Amino acid sequence: MSDSAMTAGSMHGAAMEPSPFLITSRKLTMWLFIVADAATFGAILFGYGYLRFGSPNWTKPFTFSPNIINGLVMTVVLLTSSLTMLCGVAAAREGRSGATMKWLGATILLGVTFAVLHLREWTGMFHEGWSLSKNPMGGSVQVGALFFSITGLHLLHVISGVIAITVIAIGFRARKFTAGHVETTGLYWHFVDLVWMFVFPLLYLLNVR
Amino acid sequence: MTTTETATEPTLRVYVYVWLGMLAIVAIEAVLVYAHVSSGMLLASLLVLAFLEAAVALRYFMHLRYEVPLLFWTLIPGLLLAFVMMNQFWADAARLNTLRFPIP
Repeated sequence: MSDSAMTAGSMHGAAMEPSPFLITSRKLTMWLFIVADAATFGAILFGYGYLRFGSPNWTKPFTFSPNIINGLVMTVVLLTSSLTMLCGVAAAREGRSGATMKWLGATILLGVTFAVLHLREWTGMFHEGWSLSKNPMGGSVQVGALFFSITGLHLLHVISGVIAITVIAIGFRARKFTAGHVETTGLYWHFVDLVWMFVFPLLYLLNVR
Repeated sequence: MTTTETATEPTLRVYVYVWLGMLAIVAIEAVLVYAHVSSGMLLASLLVLAFLEAAVALRYFMHLRYEVPLLFWTLIPGLLLAFVMMNQFWADAARLNTLRFPIP
């Protein structure tokens, strides 16, 4: 059954007024979730700004190598995963199951790479003495608290996205899910990418020694 | 009228150009950090570039450009208004310094 039929043509849908947005309920729901999640990230990034501005002993923990290089690699990986996701959505729409699996597999691999790079960076910082409540440089402890909280929330989104894409890919292969499901999951994945576009400059680039 | 996913689809070439453009913006951001500009100017530049990237991602990667305009007008201005309202609390951030107890 096509997405159009699932939304408007079956059961009571045929008698209902069509969506003013001309998209499926599933996609609209994802958009509403994205807006709510964007407000959450916006609030914590504003909170980071206030606390940073209000901390006279704020310290800048990052150096070009390895932190910024690692951050740049992570950014390229995440941006590339958005491109592979778009290719996956296009292949799913054209009904090319093999190509869809290949592109979604590449997206999952890039997502896992991002998470591994992030966790490797965290491990290095833990070894240097950083934690949620410790600053080895002797300045405000809020540096570590804010960095790990914000990047942790973003990493949670990445891991959730990888799991969601895996489930959708398996379901699409088994013909349980449609191209619309792949597209909606892609929408979420692009949002995760979009959030990183703010997290990287504000948390990494503004904290270079 | 039926409900459809999207009306028009850009080609893979468009996506690749957008991807390259976004990589270029990230490179500019990294260069700016080492360009010895003032901290205020750096923050403003990084925010402008981040919003530019976000707008491109929304329009092309998230297909907002290819949806009906009503979707954009329903979702985005409200979100921006929320950000603008959050922006009104900066004065309190400055007050944090004066509200502290002196360190013994």
